[in-house]
Amino acid sequence: MVLKRLLEYVGYEPGRFKARWISGSEGQKWADTTKEMTEAIKALGPNKRFKKD
Amino acid sequence: MNKVTENLRQTAAKLLKDQEVEMVIGYGLGSEAVRTQPVFITSPDDVDKLVWNPFCVNGLTKYLSDLKTLSGKIAVCVKGCDSRGVFRITQDNIIPRDKVVVLGIPCAGQMSYTKLASKMDVTGQLKEVDDKGETLVIKTSNGDFTVKKSEVILDKCLKCESHNPVVADHMVGDKVSVTDTPDDYDEIKKYEAMSPEEKAKFWLSQFDRCIRCYACRNSCPGCTCRECIFDAIKPDWVGKEMNLDENELFHLTRAFHLAGRCVDCGECDRVCPMDIPIRLLNKKLLKDCKELFGMETPGSAEEGGSVLGQYRLEDPEEFM
Repeated sequence: MVLKRLLEYVGYEPGRFKARWISGSEGQKWADTTKEMTEAIKALGPNKRFKKD
Repeated sequence: MNKVTENLRQTAAKLLKDQEVEMVIGYGLGSEAVRTQPVFITSPDDVDKLVWNPFCVNGLTKYLSDLKTLSGKIAVCVKGCDSRGVFRITQDNIIPRDKVVVLGIPCAGQMSYTKLASKMDVTGQLKEVDDKGETLVIKTSNGDFTVKKSEVILDKCLKCESHNPVVADHMVGDKVSVTDTPDDYDEIKKYEAMSPEEKAKFWLSQFDRCIRCYACRNSCPGCTCRECIFDAIKPDWVGKEMNLDENELFHLTRAFHLAGRCVDCGECDRVCPMDIPIRLLNKKLLKDCKELFGMETPGSAEEGGSVLGQYRLEDPEEFM
């Protein structure tokens, strides 16, 4: 929660970083979260920061 | 000589003479009129080196960590802001509380060297400071100068949440009656309101200037790891190169290591030779931790710890 706020504070787009608590028995939640996040990040485009030359 | 300096010297002399402490850490006259430097006194004959004036900007609590191997007790002078550093260091088990004798100095605000340097000749040696309420008369070997306090006070002192030290074994000086003005985080809100692009532009231009001197870490009472990740010979995931990406990682990591622990003394900002507003990062984390976990500024009380190292049932759970 704190790290997410820090990253957004220094200019990372909201949604690029996410933390979710998903138990091993929650397969559907895992799949839904992954799908949701992949779509959100594809829409944002590649991250231009933290790139090694 | 002012009353506080006199008191301070007497207290220090007594502590050293009675062998209650092995060392007194305080402020001494600096290389220029409006500078002070830390002094480390071990003999009662040297207590005349101690001074108290409106230029005692340094925080001295970090030295407790550097000198933790000393066998005897250490007395350290603290103002309101850096008094929280004492509890940071004792809570982190760097040095036991009973090995520290805190000499608390109530402080109405310290004067900024940079602001003073633009108003007067600072190159002489300080003779005396006359506090006239609204103004200061600074008598130096290069002449006398009168400055308005409100024009030269440190920015951080305008938003001070404890003018009087939160802890003191010996209070040298009378409590000041200046009203405490806890930070309203207006400045942080201003940066929060910017668009992601503006934020990225601002912060990357700040991180780009970092020369990785680690002065911020070295002066910080919260940065006391026995082996700092940035000192590791072969760090796993953070590089030692000085480039924008590694610098950004350094600043974000350091800020996050202090999340919920930073005592908000403002030393990181003061010591940065590149004028990177490091405190804006720490303040953001302070604001968030206060909002999320309802904590007070770390180091305000003897007991406590890091909110991120504790679990309470009522903690928010955005990640569920």
